[in-house]
Amino acid sequence: MSPFLKTLENEVQLICLAFLALVYILRLAWIFRFRSARDRGLAEGSGFRGAGYSLGSVAMPWAMESIRRRPFFYIQFVFFHLGVVAAIAATFIIPYAPGLFEKRFIVRGFQIVIGAAFASGVLRLVRRLSNRTLRSISRPDDYASLALMIAFFLAGTLAIPNHPEKGEAALIAFFGLTAFFLVYVPFSKICHYLYYPFTRYFLGLTLGRRGVWPPARGRRGSASSADGTAAGRPS
Amino acid sequence: MSRTTAPRSRQVIDLPLDVRTQEKAITEKARCVEDGRLATYRPDGRNVERFLALLSRRMNRQLAVSFTGCVHCGLCADACHYSLAFPDDPQMAPVAKADRIRKIFKRHIDWTGRIAPWWVGARRPVDDEDLNELKNVVFGLCSGCRRCTLNCPMGVDTAGLIRFARGLLTELGIVPEGIFNVSRDQWDTGNQMGVSEEDYLETLAWMRDEVRAELGTDTVDIPVDKEGCDFLYVINPREIKFDPRSIGQAAKIFHLAGESWTMPRWGWDNTNFGLFSGDDALGAFVAANAYDAATRLKAKRIVISECGHGFRSTRWEGYGWAGRDQDVPSESVVVTLFRWLEEGRLRVDPGRNPLPVTFHDSCNIARSGGITEEPRRVLARVCADFREMTPNRTENYCCTGGGGLLSMAEYRPVRLEAAAVKARQLEATGAKLVCTMCHNCIDGLTDVIKHYGLDMKVVQILELVDAALVL
Repeated sequence: MSPFLKTLENEVQLICLAFLALVYILRLAWIFRFRSARDRGLAEGSGFRGAGYSLGSVAMPWAMESIRRRPFFYIQFVFFHLGVVAAIAATFIIPYAPGLFEKRFIVRGFQIVIGAAFASGVLRLVRRLSNRTLRSISRPDDYASLALMIAFFLAGTLAIPNHPEKGEAALIAFFGLTAFFLVYVPFSKICHYLYYPFTRYFLGLTLGRRGVWPPARGRRGSASSADGTAAGRPS
Repeated sequence: MSRTTAPRSRQVIDLPLDVRTQEKAITEKARCVEDGRLATYRPDGRNVERFLALLSRRMNRQLAVSFTGCVHCGLCADACHYSLAFPDDPQMAPVAKADRIRKIFKRHIDWTGRIAPWWVGARRPVDDEDLNELKNVVFGLCSGCRRCTLNCPMGVDTAGLIRFARGLLTELGIVPEGIFNVSRDQWDTGNQMGVSEEDYLETLAWMRDEVRAELGTDTVDIPVDKEGCDFLYVINPREIKFDPRSIGQAAKIFHLAGESWTMPRWGWDNTNFGLFSGDDALGAFVAANAYDAATRLKAKRIVISECGHGFRSTRWEGYGWAGRDQDVPSESVVVTLFRWLEEGRLRVDPGRNPLPVTFHDSCNIARSGGITEEPRRVLARVCADFREMTPNRTENYCCTGGGGLLSMAEYRPVRLEAAAVKARQLEATGAKLVCTMCHNCIDGLTDVIKHYGLDMKVVQILELVDAALVL
């Protein structure tokens, strides 16, 4: 392994990671700088249960009509984000636990997941370019973030066998992109995962207190059928 | 030769700012205008500056994360009846509407937009024309139904952002005439239809006499300002002006249920245009009128008549606007009816409502208020043929008249075109009656039924319970 790749896999990553952490802390401080609003009416339900339901909705594709109607979109979402997790894991495994990638089935597993994420990314880019509404709302950041993720997944798929002796290009591309991401992410839409817990928590807290979430079926002594017909009707 | 047609959203976005009613209010020295509670438009070239100052001052954590959390996935477009009715018009998508205020937030408050505005589409408004466009989008192309919010994978409260933008514009007098007029009435008379105290009391007395004649007893009353009752009943001014029967029906049912109740002389309006205009001060004023009435009259709880936004404002939002914690319990009259039916206090015969009935969930009651089952349970007891519409409960489509749109005539043509989604949903039920627990929805649905020539009539729950009563 060349000294350049070694430095890129280690010191450069750590410096960039520290930068990411610093900007995240600043970002969180920025969010908490704003005053928080709250519902002051007497609760009908549990805010925390609502928040839990809201945060868990990512794993409940049946809970949201928009997702129910687009199962393929959800599958893409799952692969895309599993790919993110796998690729990030690989950036730690390669420098700190390279032995793991000596097992062929683990390498193949990572390549399949990240490869599927790559395919999902390409499909998402096609969707963004071909859908008129999406085109009209898309900014350079939307395209760049997606294109960078696609490149990251491709580099990850190629780099994961971790054979620098056979050529370092894929590894340099993968870790180069990782370093760039760590610096760029806090300023891009990719940062949405930092906001996600907040948006979902706040919405869930409000709707939970109001008894909207979790869905009300069967609550307050009612036992309506799924389609709401004939529930409790006197015989 | 092909003819290009401008997107339908342009017919709304390009509408000019009309301030004639504001000028009239100034001429007439309207009290709320004189004392500055209701803002009027000032063409002094400083509105953008004021807008940005308000944006910073009013920002809160929930809004900030909703502004920053959107990933432009576009799934909200599938949830919005405007977007579904005009699929080829990208400006109808909730995200596109929210982006009109989001880009200002990004340029003015968010660091990415301040560092590289072109990269994230951040942009400040340039002049009053830009603000007027924003007004037309947030008031004219959104009924605030919150369907997009509940369908956003990120949990972005797009409807909340729209209301926030409405509030900023209201404070600059850059509002549709209807919003200004109704706000003026509610500020100056305490109710949104400008009903005088004399008219209010006369109508209650008239309804009391009607019920007495129907039941053949003088023991029935519609008490006003009676202390220490089981509950205080607050209503929609539409009931006084256009549908007093609903007050009579309520009085009859309350009498039969045997609970003591009263209506307040002041603070009887449960509706709240502050919810629609985004004016939290108006929201606080109106809601506090009802809360104070309950305290003053030592009522054990507040019962809110069948009104969607009135319920949401009085039951939930009003306490936040007024900055006070809830001390007197409150509930929808439908929940009250449900309990009485469960307790056997009312005897009903579903055979007296033989026509097929479907139920329309009001957005403010289901999606923002948490009541979906009680109305169904009541209808199951009082109707012989209940049919669910699809989708329903928190997934139901708006009546298309929400968000104060019924008071904004200039947006009506596009609103009714967007209502095609609702019309198809109603028609598919095959019902002859569509029941709703919202006065606003009555007018919204009646508009849709008339426009699309559907063979249906809109009714309310009180009406059906009244019809099913076994005396």
